[in-house]
Amino acid sequence: MTDMDKIKKVVIFGSGPIVIGQACEFDYSGTQACKALMGLGLEVVLINSNPATIMTDPDLATKVYVEPLKAPFVRKILEAEKPDAIIPTLGGQTALNLALELDADGTLKELDIRMLGSTRETIEAAEDREKFRALLDRVGGKYCRSELVRNFADGIAAGKDLGFPIILRPNYTLGGGGGGIAYSQEEYERMLANALQESPTSEVLVEESILGWKEYELEVMRDKNGTFVVICSIENFDPCGVHTGDSITIAPQQTLTDRQYQDMRDEARKIVDAVGLETGGANIQFAVNPDNGERIVIEMNPRVSRSSALASKATGFPIAKIAALVAMGHTLDEITNDITKTTPSCYEPALDYVVTKIPRFAFEKFEGTKDLLTTQMKSVGEVMSIGRTFKESLGKAISSLENYRGFEEVQFDEELISYPNSQRIFHIAQAFRDGKSVDDIHQLCQVNHWFLEQLKDIIDCELEIKKRGLNPDNILLAKRYGISDMRLADVCGLSEKEVRNLRVKHGVRPGYLRVDTCAGEFKSETPYFYSTYWSRREKREAIQDTVAILGSGPNRIGQGIEFDYSCVRGVKKFRSENNRVVMINTNPETVSTDYDTSDELFFEPLNAEYVAEVLDYTQPKGFVAQLGGQTPITIANDLVAEGYQILGSDLQTIDLAEDRALFSNLCQELNFKIPKAGIAGGINEALKIAQTINYPIMVRPSYVLGGRRMEVVENEEELRDYFTKYDKYISAPTPCLMDEFLENALEVDVDLVRGVDWVVIGGIVEHIEAAGVHSGDSMGVLPPQKLKVETTANIEKMSIDLANKMNIIGHLNLQLAVKNDQVYMIEANPRSSRSVPFVAKASRVPVVDLAVMAMLGYDKARVQPEKYDWAATEYVSVKGVVFPFKKFRDSDSILGPEMKSTGECMGRGKEYSDALLKALISSQNFLPKEGEVFLSLRDKDKDILLSSIKQLSEMGYSLTATSGTAKYLKDHGLNVEVIKKVHEGRPHCVDRIRSGDIALVINTTSGRRSIEASFGIRRSCIDYSVPCITERQAALATILALRSQRDGTISVSPLEKMI
Amino acid sequence: MDKSYLVIENGPCFAGVKRNDHEKAGEIVFNTSHSGYEEIATDPSYFNQIMVMTAPMMGNYGIDNDVWESEQYYINGFIALDIQETGRDQTWLHRLNEFKVPVLSEIDTRGIVTYIRDRGASWGAIVHASDENEAKQKAQELISETRSQEKDWPFRVTTRTIEEVKGDKADGPRVCLMNFGYKRNILRELKKRCSLIHIVPSRTTAKEIKELKVQGVLLSNGPGDPADVEFAVDTIKDLLGEIPIFGICMGHQLLGRALGAKTFKLKFGHRGANHPVKDIRNGQIYVTSQNHGYAVEEKGLPTDVKVSHINLNDQTVSGLECPSRSAFSVQFHPESHPGPRDAVTLFDEFINVCK
Repeated sequence: MTDMDKIKKVVIFGSGPIVIGQACEFDYSGTQACKALMGLGLEVVLINSNPATIMTDPDLATKVYVEPLKAPFVRKILEAEKPDAIIPTLGGQTALNLALELDADGTLKELDIRMLGSTRETIEAAEDREKFRALLDRVGGKYCRSELVRNFADGIAAGKDLGFPIILRPNYTLGGGGGGIAYSQEEYERMLANALQESPTSEVLVEESILGWKEYELEVMRDKNGTFVVICSIENFDPCGVHTGDSITIAPQQTLTDRQYQDMRDEARKIVDAVGLETGGANIQFAVNPDNGERIVIEMNPRVSRSSALASKATGFPIAKIAALVAMGHTLDEITNDITKTTPSCYEPALDYVVTKIPRFAFEKFEGTKDLLTTQMKSVGEVMSIGRTFKESLGKAISSLENYRGFEEVQFDEELISYPNSQRIFHIAQAFRDGKSVDDIHQLCQVNHWFLEQLKDIIDCELEIKKRGLNPDNILLAKRYGISDMRLADVCGLSEKEVRNLRVKHGVRPGYLRVDTCAGEFKSETPYFYSTYWSRREKREAIQDTVAILGSGPNRIGQGIEFDYSCVRGVKKFRSENNRVVMINTNPETVSTDYDTSDELFFEPLNAEYVAEVLDYTQPKGFVAQLGGQTPITIANDLVAEGYQILGSDLQTIDLAEDRALFSNLCQELNFKIPKAGIAGGINEALKIAQTINYPIMVRPSYVLGGRRMEVVENEEELRDYFTKYDKYISAPTPCLMDEFLENALEVDVDLVRGVDWVVIGGIVEHIEAAGVHSGDSMGVLPPQKLKVETTANIEKMSIDLANKMNIIGHLNLQLAVKNDQVYMIEANPRSSRSVPFVAKASRVPVVDLAVMAMLGYDKARVQPEKYDWAATEYVSVKGVVFPFKKFRDSDSILGPEMKSTGECMGRGKEYSDALLKALISSQNFLPKEGEVFLSLRDKDKDILLSSIKQLSEMGYSLTATSGTAKYLKDHGLNVEVIKKVHEGRPHCVDRIRSGDIALVINTTSGRRSIEASFGIRRSCIDYSVPCITERQAALATILALRSQRDGTISVSPLEKMI
Repeated sequence: MDKSYLVIENGPCFAGVKRNDHEKAGEIVFNTSHSGYEEIATDPSYFNQIMVMTAPMMGNYGIDNDVWESEQYYINGFIALDIQETGRDQTWLHRLNEFKVPVLSEIDTRGIVTYIRDRGASWGAIVHASDENEAKQKAQELISETRSQEKDWPFRVTTRTIEEVKGDKADGPRVCLMNFGYKRNILRELKKRCSLIHIVPSRTTAKEIKELKVQGVLLSNGPGDPADVEFAVDTIKDLLGEIPIFGICMGHQLLGRALGAKTFKLKFGHRGANHPVKDIRNGQIYVTSQNHGYAVEEKGLPTDVKVSHINLNDQTVSGLECPSRSAFSVQFHPESHPGPRDAVTLFDEFINVCK
């Protein structure tokens, strides 16, 4: 420890905005590591641009910087903080790449900062595929026949040698970005070009296919003395060919013999030593030929990863915490196992249960994208579940996904078994239902027999119940097989309630077992539980002042890490107010599912059945549904019906917000302006309504989630088109909702908290894009930059009036729009919101803490609401947004009423332009300092953008434009080159984007036809990583930021503590 | 209809689903390994024991005669939550039935483990009966009968004659393997490194061993209480200082006793593939495979005997060395099977002292 004693101050890098392949698991790892390092008495400085994280809570570390994870900004922070060391292994690929850059440019050396956990050599040995292969040769590891190619011609030659299918893996990309499997020459050529482009080093590994092999992963840990442990073995349900993040996986591995497993373990150890990983966690992926046991190494990550989060939750071994401690020179035998409190951490967890992870996908959000799984990750979240057997755990995992009732019956499609896709397991189940054999199905999908046999057992059990009806024995068996009450109800033609009553009548209730790392060998008091029907329920006494907080389940577009922030902050506040907290959640990537976040953790599906059982077992005084997003709100009704108390706003209040009719009545009573609206069951009715509303009109089918199929129609023709297109979704019983579209209106989000006799406004976020872009996809700024003072006051007053009228207790999130100084009330959500963590960090108002006080019934005298002034901040904070279009070939990046973003970032500065620049740098990756700006604008935006475009020209950017735009700009004295539109012949604008000549694109458009016509522009920008702005307000903001970038110096500042 | 139980002596009955008609008594022990069920079932150290696997799903990867640790099945019962039974032709369950091992599944293994952990190792029996009372009575009979047999368990599993096995390394040493119920993988590891291996019965005298002119003696693993294996202790005493000795598991305990140490019964033993052991001599930590119910007491060791390894879970003695008499031993299984191979170099250490 001698040289480590000198280390007093450590910097941890986060992973930035949530993107596919790098999500909130790094919030979990950063948070856990931070707690561990603070526990050692170190000063910890966190840097992350993502405000939705718990790790950026100003209470967690010594200092928190919400700044771009880019070398110039980070260097500035390092200069100011003068840390002794950085730990780059906890923030995913982003943090590793950043550390490499700071090492390469000499910053670390110059400032005398050590890199702990990993070194440049280690990172390169593991990540540079040629170096890694040389290393495998040394230790006798095998790998796929493959070739590293650096240009197209070599790639084509290599392809000829390898034969199809061929796997492409670009170097140094996260989540396998730009990679994939090519089955034909044509496909290969296209993918090769793209992969070369994607790799920052223009290197692509093309390799022979090992499709059909079994895939495994080992999560390992090493300390400075060379003590090596395997924390968890993971086996993939899907055979090789699917990114492990997109595979259904289980832990521990089930189908390797001990010899095969120990061979793999030995090889993992050799690799870790050879890579030179001195301390910390790593994962190594293997493939095993099911026919002869032959094994190859797929890859290694010398850092904490997505699977580390899963492995931590699956075993109870806190990987990130231990990784941080061993990085500081502690050894595994010195660190006590937190769970048993008596044994050391240099052991390998023994599990007496099976863990299943299922990814959650969002294909429906990206029109035109095929639901096809490849080596490039596409899932947006995941669920994990624990059961005593694979069947039980699989069933619970399916329930955890929230969007399935179980193995629902589907229209069998053999093709959907024969290639990997998100629906495959349901079609396999259906195949069994239709009488296919294990061998038949294995032939089609190559999924291991063992898994298929397990699935068949589940379906056989369902079929038996269908035939005989429910009895005490088969209910118990069904529950042990993980079949939900909902699914049993569907199988038997009963209601879920009837099944539940029958089950309870027969005494079939789950017991709760502890996750204890040691299969019961040692006594453990750690309150981390899972339910199982393999164990009897022990009665326990209710413990006073217990509250249950329902989490937000798997991340998905529209409901992500922001809600885990609310939950975790809520847990802390309830605990500091002397309540015991029972946390229920099913997302392994989160901080809320860390066993030391709450007093008791139940890793359970968030549906009424499983949550009610936990409430029955733990007997809290109430449950909290307003912190975990829409998921808990959806089941609140059922839980109240079962007799459990909801804390905060009651069901009536929730209904007022959720029911459109009730809500608009309420607004009318308060004399609020609301957009004109109507409901049409068919086109004729719609045309009539259109006359009263006036175009443009926002249209959407009823019963849609997250803005699905929501569009703005500009005229009658488009309205007719819309009804033709979505004919099958619209009918008298499921009508089309039509709302006046407040064109060019300014939208705002309000987050407030109301207690019995008080209200605190957490903040007002002004959207940067005009109305029409989903609030989750629009950039935002706090404090507002455009709103007049009196309008802001009016918004505050309306918000408070509404909260009082609705009798809100706790959180209320509102969306309002401002047009011609008139304020319209658009929507209310009686819960914490996506914007809460951003608002709290920008305004310093501890919004969630206040909501907890409200739920606990604290009055004005106790809360002192007057202390909290959201507008009193001297900083401007801008929320930036990141999108996953790159992963979804053929999807359009134009923004609209349907949310598509996966994550957000925050830029802070004394000036708006400075904050804006940082937000854009964090979300766009880079903004060009010079070069060609290509413009294609719709008519109504031209005047508004003109002066900003002039500034672009003055800053030295050259301008090109499509003919109409170019003519307009020329008429206004600008020097513009005309570029052809796609249909005008070649070379056209898309060619020019592809050739790399264009640095920035501003393309605003509206109306279905123009949108379709300009699709190629936006898509090529996505494919070739050219920033593309599709909305005029965003364009203005971007040009402002470009100016700031030109004249500004970089300034950084830590977050201020909450009020 | 008959029900099936695991009856714990002076304790509760756990109901399970019977997978065959066999009934047997034995000491109830649990093992936390995730894999290696077939190695475990054929390990002679599990003689007279009913094996409760904590890992819930057994039989997943089928069977393989090559992994047997002896020529037969030694366990007196196999209990797991879920045992794979499928149309595949060769299954683990068929194999257990074939060797007349009583099998229970769909039983609260966690409950059994917790009971054993809290109350200590217990005897019990797998029986089929109409109710718990009948089950308890049947179990007690079986337990008494099994218990009344010869106490020197290694003597019951050992070979009766001296066997010679040719090693693969012509210039390697000639060694003696004292068979207290050795695992085949110990022999495999020796074959890799030796020219000839004499496998001798557990009650072989020092004189007989000396006549074999071996350069080292390996004391094997084996079942039961080392205090009941008195004959071998005398043999070891006579060999000490004359021929280098390496003891594994039972062999370690017997070496300890021969060196003057005491052995004691652990509350519920160590059985699994995840036990951390520290080599005090070089600070290295191994994750080891373990299977023992007794341990050597640290107190009262003679001054020339040092503790070389400790179990980091409970600080018990996990290895001894007596350099002055060229003897050393480990409580765990460097030959693994099942379990990690971190400590396999101990065999090289042994070969190095066989001069």
